[in-house]
Amino acid sequence: MSAPDDVDLNRVWTGVAAEVWRRRPGGLERTAARLLRSPGLARALVTTPSLLPGWIIASAVVLAAGMVATLGTGTPFAALFAPAVAAAGIAYAYGPGVDLAWELSQSMAVSDRMVLLVRVLVVFGLNAVLGLAASAASGTAAAVTFGFLVPMTAVSALALATATVTRSANAGVAAGLAAWAITLLSAQSASGRATTAVASSALVLPYLTVAAACGAIAWFATRIPKGTS
Amino acid sequence: MNVEISDVTRRFGRTQAVAGVSMRTGTGVFGLLGPNGAGKTTLLRMMATVIPPSSGRVRLLGRDPGGYGPRREIRRRLGYLPQNLGYYPGFTVAEFVEYFALLKEMPPGRVPAAVATAIERVDLGDRARAKLRTLSGGMLRRVGIAQAIVNEPELLLLDEPTAGLDPEQRVAFRALLRDLGERAAVIVSTHLVEDVGAACSEVALMDAGKIVFQGTPDELTARGQGTGAAGDAPLERGYSAVLAAARSATAAA
Amino acid sequence: MDDDELIARLAGGDDAALRELFTRHAPWLASRLRAALPPSDVEDVLQETFLAVWKNAKTYRPQGQAGGWLWVIARRQAALLLRRRGPAAASLTDAPEPKADPAERALARAELQAAASTLGGPEREVWRLMYVEDRPVAEVAELTGVPEGTVKSRANRARRLLRAALGGGTR
Repeated sequence: MSAPDDVDLNRVWTGVAAEVWRRRPGGLERTAARLLRSPGLARALVTTPSLLPGWIIASAVVLAAGMVATLGTGTPFAALFAPAVAAAGIAYAYGPGVDLAWELSQSMAVSDRMVLLVRVLVVFGLNAVLGLAASAASGTAAAVTFGFLVPMTAVSALALATATVTRSANAGVAAGLAAWAITLLSAQSASGRATTAVASSALVLPYLTVAAACGAIAWFATRIPKGTS
Repeated sequence: MNVEISDVTRRFGRTQAVAGVSMRTGTGVFGLLGPNGAGKTTLLRMMATVIPPSSGRVRLLGRDPGGYGPRREIRRRLGYLPQNLGYYPGFTVAEFVEYFALLKEMPPGRVPAAVATAIERVDLGDRARAKLRTLSGGMLRRVGIAQAIVNEPELLLLDEPTAGLDPEQRVAFRALLRDLGERAAVIVSTHLVEDVGAACSEVALMDAGKIVFQGTPDELTARGQGTGAAGDAPLERGYSAVLAAARSATAAA
Repeated sequence: MDDDELIARLAGGDDAALRELFTRHAPWLASRLRAALPPSDVEDVLQETFLAVWKNAKTYRPQGQAGGWLWVIARRQAALLLRRRGPAAASLTDAPEPKADPAERALARAELQAAASTLGGPEREVWRLMYVEDRPVAEVAELTGVPEGTVKSRANRARRLLRAALGGGTR
């Protein structure tokens, strides 16, 4: 028996499929959508590679290891690791290396810059909280416990700037880690302790300057996409 | 008029990819033909608001894409399929189409039905919940088309949409194009001349950053008659004839 | 793949199986519903029917009676729709009659007609004479020119087939 002419079975199936195929966002995503006032931005946020459960757990493990090492040796490893961990997370919030549909995302109403901004802020915030928790639990002095936040900002900004200019998240990670390693080694050779890199108040201004400059570079680099055809 | 472009240029360093293009189009299917490197993709990218022009005026859907607000309004009504569309391998077809529906700021209540409609229109209904990594190249292309049409755009830009599709799918796709062209301005960039003849009401031929022909497919065919130009089909001969004429004119100048 | 297999698959979450089931059965379900409901109601009922199928596929017991099972669900959805729509029928009578609603009666009629069409020639004739026209067995035997025993066995067969066509999983 064939369907009556005045019944639109395609419309019926679309209605069924819409229900069967729909994705039901989780609580975090729904909250984010309300806070950001944009379901698209919330979805982009929860799909950030460095905000996926695996990545967060890995970061937490590294910082926990640092905390344990601190308890044994007195060197605040958690505080020293945190900037590197954050830099990696931030570079991986970005772009063509990470976002395979990069070209398409540059034509979206929710602008790719907005997505990047929100991702970077959340990744930074999360890493800051993890770092603070590990650092505080290590029982280090307040100067160090909070002090790492400033270099963390600088190193993260550098990683982001590199990633946006080279259009490669991996390059960003490499630059961030390298820069931080150099900083630690310089601090070590200059003062005998690597901790100076996170505790010295004399370095605050240079760090913030680097952060501001790199932030500006990242901002500029995301303005004009380079095309070759 | 959905698209109004006047004297638009775009350079990358020393290269001028688009060297002064003007075109206007309303609803209907508009074909953009030309060899590789002619500037078709760059032109499409400018219409997709991905890159701004170096000079000239662009007006899309009655708005100037230079400003943040109007650009956002344009993008909500835009569908774009780039030549190289990356895929998130772990996403399913439905998740991928839904992701871009959300990024185009479609009202969330309308998204599930729009996603279902788009997936059925590209004939992927039996794979809606399959992961993208399990799909063939032709199917992935169709997923790309689905995300482009999910928001029922007023301006639809397709860059080499039939890459990887078999002949039967190409026929179905042309039918889809004609259907879409009734309510939207559809601009299809392709180097497959046959695709153009079958579906487009108007055609432009680009070479070296300029438009060297604009008219109906029949007019393009007419340009090839009696010239002995290369090509197996009339439209192809028209294509070759116009290109040859344009290049010798440039050489002479 | 037969209907039982399709339903088993979709119970396991295979939405492509649901799509195939829809392609096979939505047309005849639409026709049957259309005998009693306007087109937009038919579409709504069909949509709710297949969503109910998707949710309740695990309750189906495979006995080759998929059509009957689907129809039972469709009828229930139609009844729900009509109940939501209007208490107009209910307020008219004092004693609540289960099939007071004319649309429901029309649905039942359509259902019976469809079921009767699955009967073979002799059984259908016996059915018509004995149950629709209410004649005694002796008279039917005389009219059809066969012994009373044959009439009775044809009537049994008719009842059995109709039960199968109408009831789905029930026996």
